[in-house]
Amino acid sequence: MPIVIVVDVSLSMRRPVTGEVFQRQHLAIHGVNTILDYLAVHSKLEFVALVAFSSLYEIVSPFTRDFDLIKSKLQQIEDFDKTCVETALHGVNTLVLEEWGSLTPCQVILVTDGTPGVGSLSLKNSLSTLSQRDPSNPFPVPFSFPAKLSVMCIAAQDDPALQVGLPLYQKLVDLSGGEGGVYLPEGPLSIKSVQTLFQKHAESNFASFYGTLKCGNLTSQIILSPVPQPYSKTNDFECVKRSISDTIEIFGFLDVSDVGSPMAYSRHLVLPIATAKGDSVTPGIKVDPDSDDESSVDDSRVPSFCVLLHGALKVENVVAVCLLAEDWYGIMYSWADSKKKSNLMLTIFEPGVNVVPWLGELDRLGPRVDFVAANNGDESIAPFPLKPTEKRSYSQNTVVWIRQAGLQADIQKILRHARKLPEKTQHFYKELNRVRRAALAFGFIELLDGLAAIFERECTLLPGGAHPDCALQLTHAASVLRKPYSRVNVVPWLGELDRLGPRVDFVAANNGDESIAPFPLKPTEKRSYSQNTVVWIRQAGLQADIQKILRHARKLPEKTQHFYKELNRVRRAALAFGFIELLDGLAAIFERECTLLPGGAHPDCALQLTHAASVLRKPYSRDVKYNITPLRTKFVNDD
Amino acid sequence: MNFDKLCPSNHKTVFVLDHSPYFGISCECQLEFDFSKSRGPGFIPLAPISKSLWTCSVEAAVEYCRIVWDIFPQGKLVRVHLLKVRLSIRISGFFMLIVYFPLQIRFVVNDLSPQVLNTWSPQQQSLPYLLNTLSSVGVPNTRQSSRDYSMMYGLKSAIEALCECSEIQHERRTSLTENASKVLNRCRVICITSTIDNSSIKSFEDYFQNILIQQNKIAAGSDHLITVHHCHLVILNVYPNNTESQVRGHPPKDMSAILTTEVHSVKAGGQIASKLSHLILSHYDLASTTVTGIPMKEEQNASSSANYDVEIFHPSAAHSSILKGNAADTLQIKTVRENTDYETVTLKWCTPRSCSASELQNCTAVHRITPVDVNSRPSSCLINFLLNGRSVMLEMARKSGGKMTSHLLAAHGGEIFIHALSTSRSVLEEPPSISEGCGGRVTDYRIPDFGLLMQNNKLAPMKRKYDDESENPIARMRSRLERQTKYWPMTISGTLIFNLKMYMDPLLSLLVKEELSDDEVIQCKKVIYDLIELEVKHEPLQTPNMGQRGKGPKRYYFFISIITINLVCRYHVSFNRNTLLHFFKINGHKHDHYCPLECVLSCQVVNYDKMDISTKLSDGDITGCITSVAVDLQPDQVHYDRRTESITIFAAINQFYEVLMFGHGSQKKQLNESINILMPVGTINNTVKRKTMVIFEGKILEKSLRR
Repeated sequence: MPIVIVVDVSLSMRRPVTGEVFQRQHLAIHGVNTILDYLAVHSKLEFVALVAFSSLYEIVSPFTRDFDLIKSKLQQIEDFDKTCVETALHGVNTLVLEEWGSLTPCQVILVTDGTPGVGSLSLKNSLSTLSQRDPSNPFPVPFSFPAKLSVMCIAAQDDPALQVGLPLYQKLVDLSGGEGGVYLPEGPLSIKSVQTLFQKHAESNFASFYGTLKCGNLTSQIILSPVPQPYSKTNDFECVKRSISDTIEIFGFLDVSDVGSPMAYSRHLVLPIATAKGDSVTPGIKVDPDSDDESSVDDSRVPSFCVLLHGALKVENVVAVCLLAEDWYGIMYSWADSKKKSNLMLTIFEPGVNVVPWLGELDRLGPRVDFVAANNGDESIAPFPLKPTEKRSYSQNTVVWIRQAGLQADIQKILRHARKLPEKTQHFYKELNRVRRAALAFGFIELLDGLAAIFERECTLLPGGAHPDCALQLTHAASVLRKPYSRVNVVPWLGELDRLGPRVDFVAANNGDESIAPFPLKPTEKRSYSQNTVVWIRQAGLQADIQKILRHARKLPEKTQHFYKELNRVRRAALAFGFIELLDGLAAIFERECTLLPGGAHPDCALQLTHAASVLRKPYSRDVKYNITPLRTKFVNDD
Repeated sequence: MNFDKLCPSNHKTVFVLDHSPYFGISCECQLEFDFSKSRGPGFIPLAPISKSLWTCSVEAAVEYCRIVWDIFPQGKLVRVHLLKVRLSIRISGFFMLIVYFPLQIRFVVNDLSPQVLNTWSPQQQSLPYLLNTLSSVGVPNTRQSSRDYSMMYGLKSAIEALCECSEIQHERRTSLTENASKVLNRCRVICITSTIDNSSIKSFEDYFQNILIQQNKIAAGSDHLITVHHCHLVILNVYPNNTESQVRGHPPKDMSAILTTEVHSVKAGGQIASKLSHLILSHYDLASTTVTGIPMKEEQNASSSANYDVEIFHPSAAHSSILKGNAADTLQIKTVRENTDYETVTLKWCTPRSCSASELQNCTAVHRITPVDVNSRPSSCLINFLLNGRSVMLEMARKSGGKMTSHLLAAHGGEIFIHALSTSRSVLEEPPSISEGCGGRVTDYRIPDFGLLMQNNKLAPMKRKYDDESENPIARMRSRLERQTKYWPMTISGTLIFNLKMYMDPLLSLLVKEELSDDEVIQCKKVIYDLIELEVKHEPLQTPNMGQRGKGPKRYYFFISIITINLVCRYHVSFNRNTLLHFFKINGHKHDHYCPLECVLSCQVVNYDKMDISTKLSDGDITGCITSVAVDLQPDQVHYDRRTESITIFAAINQFYEVLMFGHGSQKKQLNESINILMPVGTINNTVKRKTMVIFEGKILEKSLRR
């Protein structure tokens, strides 16, 4: 992630450190150099920009990977008037937006002496007027890009100016999203303490990501550049906070065309690094260690799995799908910058299994051979893209008549078919019924009358050479449209009357099975009287249900299944009616029943009754989804 | 914590439609439906018709649902095994349509009951289901007296519905995580009705508030109901187009901590739908994009093409990459379309490149879209173009002049998505080429072989099995790759047997399988028998060019190959004992049906007895093959015996066998002496020429290994 170093060059930075020859400015430069030195070793691919500010700001160096250039420019910065943090942050915002846009996360390191400035330009004034800003010129923080703001104060901890400054800078950091912090050197202000401060900061913020790339037994040590950031986002009903693990495991491959262009949370270069000696190299003869000098071993000549993988991905035009952490996935592929240098790239998806809808749930990806086998060996069935179970409105001929053009198109389509009767009879009725059903759904009965009128008029306008069937069908359609039964389902058990067709077709649709009766049509939902509905309005209803349970109870253990089935049914109904008292009552009945059991009663009888009673008193049995299950005794079968 | 995002108000929306007799009246917005123009003189067009208030409200509500369900489907939920609903699924837009309508029982004035058209169940969250149910409701009967009907009953049932948990709410509430108590039930009620004046609207709002408080009390005392933490009530007051309404709308205002209301007064003909499609943008944080300049053939004149615009809706996040922090360009491309009161972003159609779909684009966001005007001709042209598998880039005009490709429209599996492309400079630019890093100078990687391995390990979606949750497809893939890479040298010069494919296949590919059929066992054995036959004939094994500089094809001898096969067998058999057991199981105890492993071993024993290896070694150039064998072997399988001046290469196949190799002469110091011979069956004395010996010197060995 790119870094903007913002250095305070106001006059206060020119104050010499007590008892030393150097000024705060020197310490600041030294600190920045410490960071640059760290980057030069650990993150060569990072971009750094340098901004100097006082009451104005100046971009000393735009984003570059040439750290030495920044160092040399750092030596040349001059000092100006007073501190104005707001101006500097505006500058940072503009600089980053122009260079990287609003989506690239950046680190902003503000190096200052901890004084917030004075007067109208001061940070204090900026922060106190936050709510009174003109929308066209808002306060620059929070930044327009994901940012981590660190404030490095070149000030001794007992510096009186910090009393005012620190809380203000802390507020600034909180405003920016709270990712960064305000840092002070430990102990007295000295070259050493400042260096330690910046070194620590660099180590905790710019350390490379070291990990292992794994594919079965083939492995390679890698670093990822830029460093993957932890994921933190709030979705509907969940807060997700995740980090990727240091083992990235490839578990399969996909064609590039199947992957489409999925959304990337972030993208990273995968760079192989030298494998630790003797670790997972190709098995070879062990030789005397002193027979040759080890230092001459050239890393670039030791085979690396990354290079092999990259080569094969590029040739085959496939991507490798990898597991980054639990339920977090990414893809790896060969990627070429415009300059023909190709590289291994990792795209990290958002965490979760449903992040690429057309690939389905990512944790359900398995061997393609199994997929082919499940399709009875038919290799022609493409596994991707996965289709949603329901079609979208735009792919299912949706009727919308909000705009007149929609209605017009539908009517004209019917008329087009009408003029080509009898060839288009099927199409004519299909369209007509589609429109009719929509009109019924919208309650647009006027349209049915209108259509009938159009058909009748159309009959009178038929040209002389028209097929006789044309007039016949149109008159028929018009008369049916006026009939009440075309407006409702008049005989429920016969279904929609306009859907009645030849019975041979029905038999054919059932694969020739003539035994399936076409009528009566069953409603999609059972009626209340055919599904054991519980009604306790009259006492007799309740009485019957309880007696049924007790009847079964007396025949335990034979009737164990029936007993619990009835019990659960009554329990669910009681919960639905909010009749909790009944549950306690039932428990009491069961316990009493135990004491009344005849001597010859089966031992299971008492066991199950006690069990049921105790469960009924438990709070979890008040959850509708819970099911009371039989106590497992040697008399109860699993079925 | 951001409750707006965690518990969005758009999770549950209830439409309350007025089905009182008043809504059966015409909206007085005449609708021309006789489009047969210019049919000669004397043609009298049919009188225009008019929709009822009911039709207008139903249409608008259905359109609202259509847009939401297209962009936020929960089809996934239906498909998912219910016991394991994944937490990451985005569920939004649950609707319940409540129609308030009178039972057809006359004379009983108060017997008015609301009808609930669907439930929160995902199965009932679909357009066809809704339309079917609406058909059964029918048009309000205008002949009944309007006075006896009041929306109040409908509102009560709406609030009751809000108190029911959706599946995800129930799951979250009953989950044992720390967030369980934090499920806030925020919801929205959209009520399409008609009232006389502002005071009745006011009493309407008050009534709603009272009911809400009452129902919350009931819900608080119940285990399975959830209290409403906040409700957004949107009232659309509709009236026929030829009248004026006394009702004045007001923007959202907070009635109380739990209720925010807003009122809009709209003409029934045309305005309900446009008002709702405006409101939906804020309800679901959607944005509008107008794709401009779509070339389309004229219906009448097929040779010319005109340019059309199509407007689409999608989550507004799809715009953030181009609009956030970019005020200048935002002004440039954001406009208000005519007849609407919301802004749309205009992006230009880019004549598609043929290959764009099969390339990996760098997408920062991917969202579903739906056309605003779903059945207009331009929309359906664009939709069909995309559904047929082509994709199109969209360009954004910049204030500074010039254009920038900012989005991609593409369909995947019948759903259309807008992909936001990365438009700014990338931090990944000018990376070092992979050939400059570790392993970059190695030139003989077995890339085609790894390509084959990739092709054999392609992924496909697996159905979730209800009975078998333990079978995890990814775990299966991992063990599969594990097995197939157990012995997988990365370079050509690092292996011998994989360079002898013409002799070894199909043995090599079969050995990595989980199980072998009888036929495959026979095929394996045939490979070995063929090798033995070559041995008997004293025919050298030819390898293709190994890719090493300028050395040309090399010759290898069969016995080395046999030994390496053993190694492969050992690798694969030892980690997959099932395969071995399977061999014995399917083959019984018959002597000639042993597995390939057994077969090789038995052959070897026989052959070593007869073989005069020294002759063969002296026959030709074995430089390469020795190297290869050495590389294929583990270090502890090579032993130099100082006393006898011989090298023994042995491989413990299993407890029964040790395989011996050949020995050599005078070079003493090179090989590690610390290894003990386990059970040398025998050694063969060196008679190999001096020239060949060089290869055994440690330097050369090492160099060839480490190159």
